[in-house]
Amino acid sequence: MLLHPAVIALLLTSLLSSILLLYSAYYGYLVIQQWDLSSGSELQLSLERRTYLISTILTYLFVFQILSLFLYLFTADSLHTLFVGAMCAAGTLHVNGYGYPALLLKIFNVLAAGVWLIVNFVDNRAYDYPLVQKKYVLLLVISPFILAETVMLAQYFLHLEPNIITSCCGSLFSEGAQSISSNLVSLPARIMGPALYLSMAASIGSGLGFYRTGKGGYLFSLLAAGAFVVAIPAVISFVSPYIYELPGHHCPFCILQREYGYVGYPLYAGLLGGVVAGLGVGALMPFRKRESLALLIPSVQKRLTLVSMLGYLVFLAIVTYCLAASNLVQ
Amino acid sequence: MLRLSNVRKIFNAGRPNEWVALDGVNLVIEPGKITALTGPSGSGKTTLLTLMGCMARPTSGRIWLDGQEMTSLPERFLTQIRRESFGFIFQQCNLIKGLTTLDNVMLPAYPTGEPFKSLRQRALQLLDLFSLTPKANAKVEWLSGGEAQRTAIARSLINDPRVIIADEPTAHLDTHLSNEFMEIVQQLNREGRTIILASHDPLVHQAEWISAVVMMRDGRVEEAG
Repeated sequence: MLLHPAVIALLLTSLLSSILLLYSAYYGYLVIQQWDLSSGSELQLSLERRTYLISTILTYLFVFQILSLFLYLFTADSLHTLFVGAMCAAGTLHVNGYGYPALLLKIFNVLAAGVWLIVNFVDNRAYDYPLVQKKYVLLLVISPFILAETVMLAQYFLHLEPNIITSCCGSLFSEGAQSISSNLVSLPARIMGPALYLSMAASIGSGLGFYRTGKGGYLFSLLAAGAFVVAIPAVISFVSPYIYELPGHHCPFCILQREYGYVGYPLYAGLLGGVVAGLGVGALMPFRKRESLALLIPSVQKRLTLVSMLGYLVFLAIVTYCLAASNLVQ
Repeated sequence: MLRLSNVRKIFNAGRPNEWVALDGVNLVIEPGKITALTGPSGSGKTTLLTLMGCMARPTSGRIWLDGQEMTSLPERFLTQIRRESFGFIFQQCNLIKGLTTLDNVMLPAYPTGEPFKSLRQRALQLLDLFSLTPKANAKVEWLSGGEAQRTAIARSLINDPRVIIADEPTAHLDTHLSNEFMEIVQQLNREGRTIILASHDPLVHQAEWISAVVMMRDGRVEEAG
C-alpha cells in the first residue's frame, strides 16, 4: 500500500461512509418494515424523528460520494509517476485488477446517489413523508454497491505496489488490444461524432419540450440516459484524438492532466450533472399526482431539466471548442 | 379544536433518571373557549402546554389541530403552524433584555417577511391596546412587572394567533395585576381566540369565566369538564 495523503483520505472516508451507510440502512429497513403514519406508537414517532438524522447523514455521505469520484480520478492520475509504464490514471488503475472495477462502481454509485438525493430532496419538502419508504428501498438497493465499492477500493489501494510494471494508456486504449477499452476505441469516429451530437440534441430538445409543456418526462429521462451512454464511448473514440492532436491517442484520462488544461474535469462534470438531473426527472414522474407533491414535483422537475440541459450544453460547448481549436485533421 | 390521543411524554427514556411527565393523556380543547389546566407542581401541565403548542413532540400519541395531525409533521411545517396558530405567554415573560418593548413585540413576526413598516405599525397598535405606547422605545429591563406582562401578551398577539397558550401567567403578579391580566384574557376570548392556561392559582382556575378546567396529577388527566 502507498501512504499517499489522497489514498489515506479516500480509504478512510470510504470506510466511514460504509459504516454510516450500514447504520442508515438498518433504520431504512425498519422504516420499510414498520412505518405507519396513522399510528401514534412510540416506535413510529421515534422513526419519524430518526428519519431526519438519517436523511442528513445520507445527504452528506452521497455528496461526498459524488465528489470522491473526481478525487479518485485525481489520485490515480497523480500517482502515475510511481509506476513504471504508467502515463496517466489509465496506467495507475491498471496496476492491479481492482482499479477499473472500483471506477465503474464509483460511476454507478454517483448516478444512484444523485437520484437518491433528488428523491430525498422532494420527500423532505412534503408534509406527509410521501416517498419515505421508497427512498429507503432505493437506499437498500444502492447500499451493496457502495459497500462493494469500499471493498474494491480497499483492495485496489492495499495491493498497490510501486515496483509493478503497468501498461500505458497508449496500449490500453489502442485498436489492436482485445479488451472493452479497445472495442470502444475501435468505434468509428465518423459514426460516433454525429451520434454524440444527435443524442445530445435529442436530449436537450426533449428537455425543452418537457420544460415548456410538462409532458414527456419519461422520454426526456430516457434520452438523457441515452446521451450519457453514447457520450462516454464518443469521448474515447471521437473527441479525445482532437484534444491530444494525435490520431491514435484515445485515452479518456489524459484529459484530466495539466497539459490539457484539466479539461476532463468540467467535461465529465457536465456529463454527470446532465445525466443525474435527467434521471432524477424520470425518478419523480410516478409521484407527480400525489396530493402533497402535486405542486412541488413539477417545479423541481423543471429545475432539474434546466440543470440537465445546462450540463449537456457545457459538455457540448467544451467538446465543440476542443474540436474547433484542434490542429488535428482527420 | 385541539385533540390529544393517548399522549405520553417521557424524558430521559431508558436512563436511570427516566421521568414520565405525561402518561396516556386524552383530551379535547374546544375552540373559542378558555380552558384552565390545573394540578400540583410536576403534574405535567407545562409539558402538556409545550406539546399542544408544538414546542416539543410527544414520545407517543398524536395531536390534531383543527383536523390537521401535528406530531408527524416535519419541522419546517411545524414551525409554520407554531408561528401562525399559537401565541405563547410564559411564566417569566421571557422578554429579551437589551431590546426595546417595541422590538420585543415585533420579534416573532420577523421570519414571516412582512414589510417592516406595516409590522411596526401593527406592533404599535398592540402596544397602544395595552397602554404601553409611552414605553415603546424603553428597554424591557426598565419595565414594571405589569408592563412586562402586558408586553409579553402583546408579543403573543403579533402573529394574530387562533390559540393563546399561557403558562402560570399570574405566578409573579400581585392580585391587582392578576385581575388586570384576566381582564385582558377575557377580552382576547371575546375576540374569538381559544385560550389555554396552566395555573394553580385559584384566582385563575376558579374564575367563573373559565369554560373548562382540566385537573392533572402525576401526568394524567384526573378530571376534565
